[in-house]
Amino acid sequence: MLGAKRGRSRSVDDPDLDLVPIMNMFLVLIPFLLISASFFHLKAINTSVPVLGNADGSVAPGNTVKLTVIVQLEERGIRLSAMSDEADASILGDFDAYFPKGRASAYPLDEVATFLQGIKDRYPSSDTLIIIPDGGVIYDTIIRTMDVARTGTRTELFPNVVISGKVG
Amino acid sequence: MALGRSRRRTQKFVPPKLQLTSMMDMFTILLIFLLISFSSEVVRMKIDGNIQLPKSTAKQDYRNNIRLVVAQDSLWLGDEAVAKIKDGAVVGLDPANLQRSVLYRKLSACRQKAGKAVENGTAEDNVILFICDKRLSFKTINSIIKTAGMAGFPNFQFGVLEQ
Repeated sequence: MLGAKRGRSRSVDDPDLDLVPIMNMFLVLIPFLLISASFFHLKAINTSVPVLGNADGSVAPGNTVKLTVIVQLEERGIRLSAMSDEADASILGDFDAYFPKGRASAYPLDEVATFLQGIKDRYPSSDTLIIIPDGGVIYDTIIRTMDVARTGTRTELFPNVVISGKVG
Repeated sequence: MALGRSRRRTQKFVPPKLQLTSMMDMFTILLIFLLISFSSEVVRMKIDGNIQLPKSTAKQDYRNNIRLVVAQDSLWLGDEAVAKIKDGAVVGLDPANLQRSVLYRKLSACRQKAGKAVENGTAEDNVILFICDKRLSFKTINSIIKTAGMAGFPNFQFGVLEQ
């Protein structure tokens, strides 16, 4: 009777898992991953500065008018305009706009994004945008403007962002 | 009574077991965290601790090219300090005559080396990885960018932190 009782109580015990090999594997993996871990995820924005060169006279086939949008970051706001060899001055005039700074003296980048989206919708072939900041504009503002210029609310807007100083 | 005593005597010494379960939990969490932040291409950069990078929605990876680092008070080309920055202006960089600056000379030398590397097929193209403090004004940055453009580096990758 006693023997039978003992046998039954032994079968209830949970079998112990041998965790030592797993621990060993972890001890090898963790130092390796610690070495190859990156805690700052650095990303890049492609840009360029204007250079002197021969004008490319080739026109894209079909009815694809390309506009180059100019974004001037001024001290009191953002001035937008467009230029193109393929469009009339009257059409280009439609894209002249000025967005003054808001109450918190922040640039109205959301409004600019909507305006840029409008240009992209009308002229989907347009892919170049020139940012002309004033001397006092800080680098962070330029980067945020670049973000707005590249990625619109729905689609990619202007992937080619050129940064330029004011001429004159 | 007699039976109890004999049972106690026959019990073998069982060595105490280590409780590894909680340690395993900790290691598992650590492992998952490290797996997320794992990067197959670790590039070590010597960047001034005072530098604050801007955050961006950019998703593109940078290329490990010639590095131009602009901190609040110094300008670095790779790991070498090229100039000091005082009151928002690069010392020794005259906006009217950029070609006389140390930065221009150093960048021109880099351009020649990089040009050969591109010709040999050991490098892709001449793009500068531009890492700059977010608090600096465009007035400071413009002269540096212009100098790089004149030295033959019109294309840049602006280094930003992932948002």
